[in-house]
Amino acid sequence: MDVRYERASKSFGSTQALAPLDLTVPDGKFLAMLGPSGCGKTTALRLLAGLEQPTSGRIYIGDRDVTRLEPRHRDVAMVFQSYALYPHKSVAENIAYPLRLRRSAAAERDERVRRVAELLGIGGLLGRMPRELSGGQRQRVALARAIVRRPHAFLMDEPLSNLDAQLRLQMRVEIKRLQRELGVTTLYVTHDQIEAMTMADLIAVMRDGALQQLATPAELYERPANLFVARFCGSPPMNVLDGAVEDGSFRHPTGSIPLPGAEIRGPVKLGFRPEHAEVTDHGAPDSLAGEIYVVEPLGNETLVTVRLEDELLNIRAHAGFDRPVGERCAVRPAEGRVHLFDKDSGEALAKPGERGASSAGHAATAGI
Amino acid sequence: MSRERALAVARVAVLGVAIVVALFPFWWMLVTSLKQPVDIFRGVSLVPQHPTGDNYSRLFGDYHMGSFLVNSLIVVTVSVAVSLVLGTLAAYALARFRLRFGLNQSALVAALLVRTLPPILLVIPLYLTLTKYGLLNTRLGLIVIYGGLNTSFVIWMMQSFLEEIPKDIEEAAMVDGDSRLRALFRVVLPLAAPGIAATAIFSVITTYNDFLLALTLTSTPAAQTVPVGVSTLIGKIQIEWGPMAAAGVVGALPIMIFAIIVQRHFVRGLTFGAVK
Repeated sequence: MDVRYERASKSFGSTQALAPLDLTVPDGKFLAMLGPSGCGKTTALRLLAGLEQPTSGRIYIGDRDVTRLEPRHRDVAMVFQSYALYPHKSVAENIAYPLRLRRSAAAERDERVRRVAELLGIGGLLGRMPRELSGGQRQRVALARAIVRRPHAFLMDEPLSNLDAQLRLQMRVEIKRLQRELGVTTLYVTHDQIEAMTMADLIAVMRDGALQQLATPAELYERPANLFVARFCGSPPMNVLDGAVEDGSFRHPTGSIPLPGAEIRGPVKLGFRPEHAEVTDHGAPDSLAGEIYVVEPLGNETLVTVRLEDELLNIRAHAGFDRPVGERCAVRPAEGRVHLFDKDSGEALAKPGERGASSAGHAATAGI
Repeated sequence: MSRERALAVARVAVLGVAIVVALFPFWWMLVTSLKQPVDIFRGVSLVPQHPTGDNYSRLFGDYHMGSFLVNSLIVVTVSVAVSLVLGTLAAYALARFRLRFGLNQSALVAALLVRTLPPILLVIPLYLTLTKYGLLNTRLGLIVIYGGLNTSFVIWMMQSFLEEIPKDIEEAAMVDGDSRLRALFRVVLPLAAPGIAATAIFSVITTYNDFLLALTLTSTPAAQTVPVGVSTLIGKIQIEWGPMAAAGVVGALPIMIFAIIVQRHFVRGLTFGAVK
């Protein structure tokens, strides 16, 4: 079922945790709420679970207005960051808990618990107590407890943040596969942009309680709505330079970059991603002059930090990159891959060569 | 003898002395309760010369010890049970909800105030109040008074225990289909069991031990509790040492049995691995 926030907001005393939020998660889709801590994403999730009451606005699950319903009547399942297993109950009892409350027959209940446990590879742990499990196993039990009934929606609050890096990677894949298989609408809260980008159908980027952008991962990457989104999504983050547009070029003290078709002029911020620029020889045309500051070989590629006057740029280079530190060089952003932002508000301006965000034809000719 | 071994022996010796010192009064009481009146006054002896059960039969026969015990058990059980239920619910509310105008803090201070007032201050108003409602010298009167005093204590103890229990766990239960009250009883309270046990033990002991209030508010074996009953053995002319020692032994038994039953809850951890 789809999930809908209509101008839903939440204040705690005089602090506003969530500005009025309008958001729809289409039926069966996986939506990630992405943002730094304190951005209101967890509050939004708790509003949907019914663990908090909105200060204003309404919340719908399907056609049902659930704004004033108790959590137990909303039929959603939640996975907590801390897993929140019942410590005094065995794994099997933990998983069966939501079923027990719904008075399903004992035989059917055991069968479903067993099946879900098999699905998550914890079939051998059913008799154990939560304290006897590792972090990854607890995580699986928490997931099993969520999927054992067919809820209208899954709510996940940073479910992977307590796992070590390797396990996180593995669970990421598993949760994504499970969600596709079950086809249950999912809201997934995370501060990790890689999790959001890899798992979600849709990403809602939040900041200071306000929705910044709602888009598919590809769109978010290609067309960030503002500087915050641009910097938050992508690792290393997007490079941003202060400068001005004059005569169809971006002017910076260290050089200028042509912006074919740019219709604006005046001071702007220019951004480009580390993978959309190359390090080239000093004095090359259409480039920014600087020097190699740090070189970090990663095996499959090399991260190069270039210092322009007093700013550092991150560039992804090929594996065999061999310019020595200190060498004078230049950075040339790929044509059509730069983003312009308003100098003050940080809002995205139309990409050079595009008249509006919707003119896809132009974008194609601009090399996107 | 190695140094380690010497240390071990010293440790056992010190503990042994401590145990002997701690248990001696109890042993003395037990021995006295089994002695004949003449032997009690004959001088120091650590075993009864002519063991007898007379003191016990006189205690129950002539001195109404049975009534005192029943009164104590009823008053303690009911008042502690009532205050555990009321106090725990109140403590849960204080631990989980932020009330307006800083009412959480005021409520806690008010509860503490009840407990900090010296009982001697309360005795006369309570006496007058119970008289007015015809509850003087009744078990119900004592239950009401002890229940009220214990509730404030339970609120304080349970509030801190409940705050230790992660909120996530009961929220998970609520999302899984419990009402808040059901989540409290099925998930939160089982986790708070060690805290409840500690609170219960303390409440039971203070209530069972109370002398001042019970002495003032009761006057016949119909409502007198064990401590008050035992004090009636001290007469104007003579002190009945034998039955009094027997009363000490009998009076200590319920508390010892209770402590043995609940002590395993102390050993268990509080939330034992709920969260990582």
